[in-house]
Amino acid sequence: MEKHKKILEYAISSLLRRTYRNLAVIVVFSFMVAVLSSVLFLTHSFKVEALNVLSDAPELIVQRISGGRHDLIPADYMKKIKEIFGVGEVIPRFWGYYYDRMTDSNYTLMGIDKNMRGLELLDGRMPTDSGECAIGKGVSDVRSAGIGGKMYLINSRGRVIAFKVVGVFTSGSNILTNDLVLLTKDSVKTFFGMPSGMATDIIVEVNNDYEEPFVISKIKELLPDTRPIMKREIIRTYDTVFSWRSGMILIMFFGALTAFCILAWDKATGLSDGERQEIGILKAIGWETSDILELKFWEGIVISLTSFLSGLILAYVHVFFFGASVFSPVLKGWSVLFPQFRLMPYISLYQVFIILFFTVVPYVASTIIPSWRAAITEPDSVMRG
Amino acid sequence: MDSVIKTYDIAKVFNPGMPDQIKAVTDISIEIERGGITVLKGPSGSGKTSLLSLIGCMSRPTSGRIIVNGKDVAKLPERFLTGIRRSTFGFVFQHFNLISGISVIENIMLPLYPSDIKLSSIRKRVESIMENLGISGKKDFSVQRLSGGEQQRVAIARSLINEPEVILADEPTAHLDSKLSEDLKDIFVTLQKEGKTIIIATHDPIIHEGGFAGRVIEMRDGMVKEVTVE
Repeated sequence: MEKHKKILEYAISSLLRRTYRNLAVIVVFSFMVAVLSSVLFLTHSFKVEALNVLSDAPELIVQRISGGRHDLIPADYMKKIKEIFGVGEVIPRFWGYYYDRMTDSNYTLMGIDKNMRGLELLDGRMPTDSGECAIGKGVSDVRSAGIGGKMYLINSRGRVIAFKVVGVFTSGSNILTNDLVLLTKDSVKTFFGMPSGMATDIIVEVNNDYEEPFVISKIKELLPDTRPIMKREIIRTYDTVFSWRSGMILIMFFGALTAFCILAWDKATGLSDGERQEIGILKAIGWETSDILELKFWEGIVISLTSFLSGLILAYVHVFFFGASVFSPVLKGWSVLFPQFRLMPYISLYQVFIILFFTVVPYVASTIIPSWRAAITEPDSVMRG
Repeated sequence: MDSVIKTYDIAKVFNPGMPDQIKAVTDISIEIERGGITVLKGPSGSGKTSLLSLIGCMSRPTSGRIIVNGKDVAKLPERFLTGIRRSTFGFVFQHFNLISGISVIENIMLPLYPSDIKLSSIRKRVESIMENLGISGKKDFSVQRLSGGEQQRVAIARSLINEPEVILADEPTAHLDSKLSEDLKDIFVTLQKEGKTIIIATHDPIIHEGGFAGRVIEMRDGMVKEVTVE
């Protein structure tokens, strides 16, 4: 133990002797880790956030498609769907998007029903009357509207409607907390001017999950202008989209990654005369080849772990404190989210391990291998100066 | 004679079979007396450094046998030679070969880093050696800031830290003036009195003349020309 401690101390003092050179490597290395980690942190957080939004979403939603776009669905479709074998409850939903010019934010106005899962009231209650609303914590903060306050919204006929805030809720998902406004179903219908007998979409409960594909095909057969959407399909789509986008960035970054690997290899394989001489001296005064390798191992570990941790911290700050300002436009795509929200710091240990494996291990190896080549040669050359 | 080292017909050829082949040492058979001072004398290129390197297990002979304390080391693999170097030899190099950028005391402690001896014990041992060599006031200095004579003493201190039986010095006075060379001789005499075997390769008359060495081996063209016993 004492031996390893002394070799580690010597490794650190060796690194400090070549401060500028090692600092340059640490800067480049940290930057590379920071970029890689930022992309992976960001996509992982988006995926987790999307999963949180969807975790309490219905397993099957039926929308009506008109001209290739989502349209209001006639409520009498519910009767036909209900008759399909294996279908449980069928519930209409009433919701719509609302752009709030005051706060430059996009809200989802939704009619409350008994299926509102995953929302936790922080204060007050859910709306029961047409002039009432409950809002997410984020909306409450942006609008500075608490219990007893008013939410002024402009309806489809251009009239300002005041809703009394009777409840403030939170959720496992930041997106829901920041964009959801709950009204009674009738309020939503009136506000958006929905014709009677129409809903935004329909929730379908299927008694047995395995029967979902069968129910979907029956719905499509009975009601050809509908689009049944399974929750797991949405999750898979999110997953694919974010993986594809992060993949695109990583491919673009591949050039920089290759450049770094070349730099690291060049730095490591190109032992300077001074370093070669030092290895010879150490061998001549009694260091074993294994001692030299341990020295170089510690040097590699100190450099690469310092860079790795710095890069990780940089990425964490970049993604979770500055909203990943460099990459988020590419990763979010055109669907910009309003209001702005801070991503919850979800980190996958598996991804951290992958970054560690693909950065620290090659660097340490590229440090040890050339030193090993120098260390196994006879130290005679040292005698000759 | 009680010999610490014996060589039998050792030869060292660099780049054998190549157009630039060099025969550095040819068929040398010598004995090194335990506890004595032996000087390898000869002009530049006579094979002194190569012989010193072979004796000190820093390189292996192309042919012949080298016996160190009764053990043939000529064909031992590198990993065993390292152990013998560490336990038997202390080296003083021509160009000092100190590690720049670290302090005097760290340079001297360096041979004992890969051991389980506690740093505090090593430090005590180093301080005692530095005291004997008159450099105790320089322990925290960076080696680049020392004079040639001081650097030589640091190199000697480093060679002694392992408490070796044999000190090998290659042209130790090459970078010293005559006064410092005389001082160095005194250090070697003191070490000999402490029971060390000293082998010095040099072409400096201050060292090989005047009865300082018990045995002078004169070399030329990689061969032993004459052995003088004082």
